[in-house]
Amino acid sequence: MRSRFDEQLSILNKKLIVMGALCEEIIGISSDALLNGNSDKLENVKIIGSEIDRMEEEIEGICLKLLLLEHPVASDLRQISAALKMITDMERIGDQAEDIAEIIGFLNGRTGEECKEIRKMAETAIKMVNDSVDAYVNTDLELARSVYSFDDIVDDCFLKTKNKLIDMIAENKTDGEYPLDLLMIAKYIERIGDHAVNIAEWVEYSLTGVHKDNNKD
Amino acid sequence: MKGIINAKNLNLWYGETQALKNINIEIPEKSITALIGPSGCGKSTFLKILNRMNDLIPIVKIKGDIYYNGKDIFEKSIDVNSLRRDIGMVFQKPNPFPMSIYDNIAYGPRIHGIKGKQRLDEIVENSLKDAAIWDEVKDRLKKNALGLSGGQQQRLCIARALAVKPKVILMDEPTSALDPISTSKIEELSLKLKDKYTIIIVTHNMQQAVRISDNTAFFLLGELIEFGKTEEIFSNPLDKRTENYITGRFG
Repeated sequence: MRSRFDEQLSILNKKLIVMGALCEEIIGISSDALLNGNSDKLENVKIIGSEIDRMEEEIEGICLKLLLLEHPVASDLRQISAALKMITDMERIGDQAEDIAEIIGFLNGRTGEECKEIRKMAETAIKMVNDSVDAYVNTDLELARSVYSFDDIVDDCFLKTKNKLIDMIAENKTDGEYPLDLLMIAKYIERIGDHAVNIAEWVEYSLTGVHKDNNKD
Repeated sequence: MKGIINAKNLNLWYGETQALKNINIEIPEKSITALIGPSGCGKSTFLKILNRMNDLIPIVKIKGDIYYNGKDIFEKSIDVNSLRRDIGMVFQKPNPFPMSIYDNIAYGPRIHGIKGKQRLDEIVENSLKDAAIWDEVKDRLKKNALGLSGGQQQRLCIARALAVKPKVILMDEPTSALDPISTSKIEELSLKLKDKYTIIIVTHNMQQAVRISDNTAFFLLGELIEFGKTEEIFSNPLDKRTENYITGRFG
């Protein structure tokens, strides 16, 4: 009796999965270029970024329409409101991957090899994004919760990266622009980790009705 | 918040059919409680039992207790008329008496022995004001109430219920026959009235329950499945059956 609504929810779900996959792809390309100097696909970043933006608009439209037409409650309401919040984080991930790709263009082939924490950070952030999207796709609460703990690793790496870059500047080993570019990349990666945590939190909310941040005293 | 009505192990049968099964619920005072559930789930039966309207049906058998302000309403010493003065009712279809607007409101107080034009005038005015219809009818109090629109008639019925100074107002789908504007007037009125009265409302309109009630009780096949804060029930119900009903998976 609610087949039309279920159909719409299933469309919403599929679109979110596609958007999540695009996020995985775009940071995959950016980090591959950064860490391995593999810049073949960098030109795709802009195209994927635009597609992510378009999907954000499209999914937002579907969510607003469902809110208007179906007055969803309970798990339906949670699913739709979580979707509305998640697409904002996904869109930011797309933007930040684009920003990273742009900065890579200024590195003149250097890959930040002096700073092994950047590699660890990028690998961890990618895992966080993949896991949070997978947690949504597979309604996997444990996987969603596992994402939170990786944020500490990313934050820790960011701090170490920052200190290393400060040393690099102090020792005058390189031109001033290179460490600053690396720092910006590191910051973007750190933000991507935060967005992945947000997505995981909305997955948890959608599944349990409890949002991690609202549960703190 | 203090409970004003308290049902304990309440069972009700219509002949062989059990319509309420072991209901336990404590209704907080000065708040709005919504009773929801599919047709035939027992919510209206439960509503009507609270001012003993089922007593009129000969085949009804009741087991268990209902306490109103700590007193058992089935006690022999309870005066049903005074119980119904305390616990008033508004029905699905507006049912003004075929008499003037003034007399509709003055009817209850007169029955309860209030005389004197000035006193009755006061009651009529205050009741109509409390029911947010005074401005619309103050110049036509002597006109027949049946000439009012459906929405106005329903607010008149609420004013009539208020005229005998009840503590609790039972509403059985009070807006199901009304247009959206009249519905929203009744909803706003209900929100205003809960400062002074306890309101228990049966509704099939989920959005209405969300908009106006503080607590929601979900009935199914004569059982009270879940009772809790409306926000919780509609965002994160504990029972799968509640979830399935409010999301429209059955009912």
